[in-house]
Amino acid sequence: MNNDLRDRRDRADMSQADLAAAVGVSRQTINAIERDRYDPSLELAFELADYFDCRVEDLFDPDLDGNGADDRAE
Amino acid sequence: MTSTESPTTDRLSSRRRYRRLMFGSIAAAVVSALALRNLGYPLLSEGVYWVGILAFLAVWWGSPVSLFDERDRALERRASQLTLTVAAVVLVLGASAARLLTEATSYAVPTVVWGALYGYVGLFAAFAVAYLWVRYRP
Repeated sequence: MNNDLRDRRDRADMSQADLAAAVGVSRQTINAIERDRYDPSLELAFELADYFDCRVEDLFDPDLDGNGADDRAE
Repeated sequence: MTSTESPTTDRLSSRRRYRRLMFGSIAAAVVSALALRNLGYPLLSEGVYWVGILAFLAVWWGSPVSLFDERDRALERRASQLTLTVAAVVLVLGASAARLLTEATSYAVPTVVWGALYGYVGLFAAFAVAYLWVRYRP
C-alpha cells in the first residue's frame, strides 16, 4: 500500500526507531511499511495517523502517486 | 539519528536482547543436550534441555517489553500457511505413492515413512480441531 510515511517521518526529523517506539512496533515493521512490504493493521494505521495528526487516508492511500494527494486536494 | 542512548533506543535494544536471550536459550539447550547425550549423560542432557525450555518460557512471559508486534504475527501466519501447504502436498503425494508402491510392487515402504505420513495426518487433525475451536469459541 502506497504511503507517505517516510516523508512525514523525515519532516518530523525522526528515525525509524523513534517512530517505532512511539507507536509500539519494531523498527523493522516501520521499515517494511515504508518500503511497501507490509500493510499495517487498521489499528496501527490509525495509530500512525494519530501520531502525525493527520487522517489515515492522507497517510495511506492506494492511489497515492507522489502528487496525487495534492491534486485531489485542489 | 542521534548517537546517544535514548528511551527509544533502550526499548528497541531491550526487545532485541530479550528475543536473542529467548531463542538463544533454546538453541544453547538443544546443542548442549545433544552433546551431553553423545557423551553418555542422557539424564543430564534431558535436564539441560528442560532448563532451556523453561528459560525460553521465562523470558517470553517475564519480558518487560513486547517481544513481537503485529508484523511478526503476520509473518508467522504466512509461514504457518506455507508450512501447512507443503505438508499437505507431501501427505497427498506421499500417501498415494506409498499405497501404490505397496499394492503394485513388492517394495515394502519403510515403517518410518508410514510413521511420518501418519504424523502429517495428526498435524492436520490438530489443525482442524484448532480451526474449529477458533471459529466457534464463545
